[in-house]
Amino acid sequence: MAISKTKQDKELYTIAENWFRQQQWKPFPFQTKAWKAFLEGKHGLLNAPTGSGKTYALWFPIVLQYLKDNPDYQKKHPKGLKAVWITPLRALSLEIKQSAERVIRDLGTPLTVGIRSGDTSVKERARQKKDMPDLLITTPESLQLLLASKGYDKQFRNCSAIVVDEWHELLGTKRGVQIELGLSRLKTVAPRLRIWGISATIGNLEQAREVLLGPGSEALMNSVLIRANIPKKIRVQSIIPEKMDNFPWRGHLGLHLMEDVMPIIDRSRTTLLFTNTRGQCEIWYQRLLEKHPELAGLMAMHHGSIGKETRIWVEEAIRDERLKAVVCTSSLDLGVDFAPVETVVQIGGPKGVARFMQRAGRSGHRPGQESVIYFLPTHALELVEASALKAAVATQTVEDRLPFLYSFDVLLQYLTTLAVSDGFKPAEIFPEVRSTFCFQDLPEEQWQWLLNFLVMGSQSLQSYDEYKKVEVEDGVFKVTNRGVAMRHRLQIGTIVGDAQISVKYQKGGYIGTIEESFISKLTPGDVFTFAGRTLEFIRVKEMQAMVRNSKAKSTKTPSWMGGRLTLTSQMSELLREALYTAGEPAGQQSEEIRALESLFKRQRKESIVPKPSEFLIETFKTRDGYHHLFYPFEGRFVHEAMGSLLSYRISLLSPITFSLAFNDYGFELLSDQPVDMQQVLDNDLFTTKYMHEDLQNSLNSTEMARRKFRDIAVISGMVFTGYPNKGIKMKHLQSNSQLLFDVFRDYEPDNLLFQQAFRETFEHQLEEGRLRIALERIAGQQVVWKACKQPTPLSFPIITDGLREKLSSEKLADRIQRMIAKLQK
Amino acid sequence: MTRPLNIHQSNFELHPSGALYWKEQSMLLISDVHLGKVSHFRKYGAAVPQKAIAANFRLLDSTLQDFLPGTVCFLGDLFHSHLNSEWELFREWVSRTSAEIILVAGNHDIISPLKYEALDIKVVPELLIGQFLLTHHPEEREGFFNFAGHIHPAVRICGEGRQSMRLPCFFKSPRQMILPAFGTFTGMHTLEQKNDNEVFAIAEDQVIKL
Repeated sequence: MAISKTKQDKELYTIAENWFRQQQWKPFPFQTKAWKAFLEGKHGLLNAPTGSGKTYALWFPIVLQYLKDNPDYQKKHPKGLKAVWITPLRALSLEIKQSAERVIRDLGTPLTVGIRSGDTSVKERARQKKDMPDLLITTPESLQLLLASKGYDKQFRNCSAIVVDEWHELLGTKRGVQIELGLSRLKTVAPRLRIWGISATIGNLEQAREVLLGPGSEALMNSVLIRANIPKKIRVQSIIPEKMDNFPWRGHLGLHLMEDVMPIIDRSRTTLLFTNTRGQCEIWYQRLLEKHPELAGLMAMHHGSIGKETRIWVEEAIRDERLKAVVCTSSLDLGVDFAPVETVVQIGGPKGVARFMQRAGRSGHRPGQESVIYFLPTHALELVEASALKAAVATQTVEDRLPFLYSFDVLLQYLTTLAVSDGFKPAEIFPEVRSTFCFQDLPEEQWQWLLNFLVMGSQSLQSYDEYKKVEVEDGVFKVTNRGVAMRHRLQIGTIVGDAQISVKYQKGGYIGTIEESFISKLTPGDVFTFAGRTLEFIRVKEMQAMVRNSKAKSTKTPSWMGGRLTLTSQMSELLREALYTAGEPAGQQSEEIRALESLFKRQRKESIVPKPSEFLIETFKTRDGYHHLFYPFEGRFVHEAMGSLLSYRISLLSPITFSLAFNDYGFELLSDQPVDMQQVLDNDLFTTKYMHEDLQNSLNSTEMARRKFRDIAVISGMVFTGYPNKGIKMKHLQSNSQLLFDVFRDYEPDNLLFQQAFRETFEHQLEEGRLRIALERIAGQQVVWKACKQPTPLSFPIITDGLREKLSSEKLADRIQRMIAKLQK
Repeated sequence: MTRPLNIHQSNFELHPSGALYWKEQSMLLISDVHLGKVSHFRKYGAAVPQKAIAANFRLLDSTLQDFLPGTVCFLGDLFHSHLNSEWELFREWVSRTSAEIILVAGNHDIISPLKYEALDIKVVPELLIGQFLLTHHPEEREGFFNFAGHIHPAVRICGEGRQSMRLPCFFKSPRQMILPAFGTFTGMHTLEQKNDNEVFAIAEDQVIKL
């Protein structure tokens, strides 16, 4: 029996190999390894970069498995779902579908492929419900929606494979938790299921496999990690300004070097220019076009807020080599093979090595071809980052993606999802939930708390209460109220943004979506740039902003949040090392560091460029007040934490109010009174003792938790974000999560969701672990405190940052009185 | 700690709860309590802590205790929603309150006036007392000084060292005073202070003129 089975498998490989030969391709070893492991019934994680043929590594065995299971497939094709392919970006689903269909068609099988995502029409969804495609391509959110429909267990019963594509993108997010929970259910309802992930290179690949398959699970025991090991040559080239003297010390747009990009564009078939924010993307596109009208028609823009049709058009135009240049954001980071792209330009620091390498990989997409990426600094000190990035690429130093733990908001959403479809029995679901990485060892009391929360909206039954969500019938937890069920389905997902408003021409014609917070600041007649057009705002009608074209010189560009990423610990270490070379002979420096010589000279006039053994503190006074700067070079999150910690500890010495600013190099405490720095040093305020308690007590952690709570409130279903395009009508149900946060703080501080906001703050935002290590490092350094007369080059990008945190130990009324007194002076 | 204020020879006290006491009339003005909002959310599956419900009534009690007014006049949005279980609590509160109660109806007040009248509460669209006009929506009328709510006013204060904060406030213009929202589960709307505005910010237990 066993012998004939292997023989059969061999025949199957031959089918696959023949197909490759017909395409005049040769399968990579990682592809054949994946086929073999899959057909042996194994689960696994495939580590392969974009454009390497990873799709065929897993589509093939899925189809081969079907051939194996159904020798009579041409006569007797069993209906129903056989495999699910999950992609984080719905934009990629079409590409994946085409690959799958190619295999299916060439092998002459009757398999069908369907897509289900937020873009799928109601009609198509209804059709799928009756008659599921054999292979389904979907998003994490749509997978949850399938679990929210009645009889989902029957639909998945014969499913033999689930592939989670771009798993590294999902891993460190709540969408990853959503996948973990979904898989825990599917393992039970689909006993033959094989689980596979595909991931780009990240630091913690082994952990990525464990999270996907479940710690200590049978699936994990019976799994493989396959590495593609395709060597990729990446060349990093910094764009160094010819005259450093005029190059700005601060800024984030990089327009000073715009002209230097032109020869690069001219030399390549197609160039992608990656910007860090959608706002920056808009401005670059606009300015390039103004200065170089000859690019009209040859240049396009691509970002997440632009209408889907436009985006698809741009993607096709790149493939057909109709464009010389595309200004884009992370929206072009993933998937999609663009052969004509020869060069990539990164404008401003990418803040992550993996991201930078992925972007570099967008060029020279063919195996063996060298990828070229230009780094364009937006201010002088970013050249240090460029130097560090080069080192990182050379050593392949890639960061980890940290999985979430105990995300109660996602769990509540998931449990409600199960309650909406067929209902659930806690005794059956609890072990499944605990089998996930996220909820391993979840205490029974907390599980009970969550169940109470779903059923009673509190931990004890109160008189007069009309709370309604999940009900219990014969031990089955169910949603019976149609309104509750409908609202829940509309809100499934873990990506929470500002409310989105569609931007439309009054005459008709959809342009894209913008955050409501931007639109709400506009008054009719205001002109803004969006999607490369100059538009005049007319009015908001339902959830739509009506606009018309304008000839006016543009005044406003939407600013999108989310552009502020932090350096990872690996990257910050490289950054420090790059900076430390400032003191070395020019021959041992990178060209970037050499170019900064004049800046370092200025820095040394009043202060120093720190050496590895030194921790630099600078103080000076300007019109804004008293500046106190600290330079740990640990990345902005650690700086935010350290700034909160330090300002809190200083505020214990005497009543004082600070505003905090930080970037990847250091942080600033700004106050209307000077701080006695000697006292700070004498009192050992950088100690790791009581660090956690002090952080918790700093007002800043509350403010950060408040922001984290915004997402938690939406994901857990506490805040309803409204019916699509009918935002206004449901307004009486839409509360502001800020208010909700205050109510919990005042009346129910032991609520698990409220506490989760703090835990996320400490683990993901303040990065407590990294902070401790950083403080220990500083303890071994010599403190150099420089009292300067004016701002130094190192301080400049920090003190000019407008986004600030606040911390105060003064009594509110005293503070106001003093602010008033100063104003009247 | 309250703050005295004289308008057109009448004496008022600004209370840090957001209520305003009118000495000559022995009348307490309270705006935008939004009772029933917590229950309304709970009914629709959002588990807002129930303790926030009791807080509103506690705050009403303690504020009344400070002045012992003859009349309590609510400047609209007393109830946030349709009738729900909080009405019962409100009924109990009314029965233990000796003051006369008047409701100047606001946009949220959709509960039938008959229900209020059954509790001896007068529901009116507006109230005229001497030169004073009491409404829910701010209104300018020749010859009158207007007390109103609806806006949930807040003010932003900026100081040296790039400090800034946002506080609920009483917002006064030459012929109008907008009261802050009294309720515990209500939002704020920031207003900009112009030259002829007087703003009284609420900072914890104090009312501070800016």
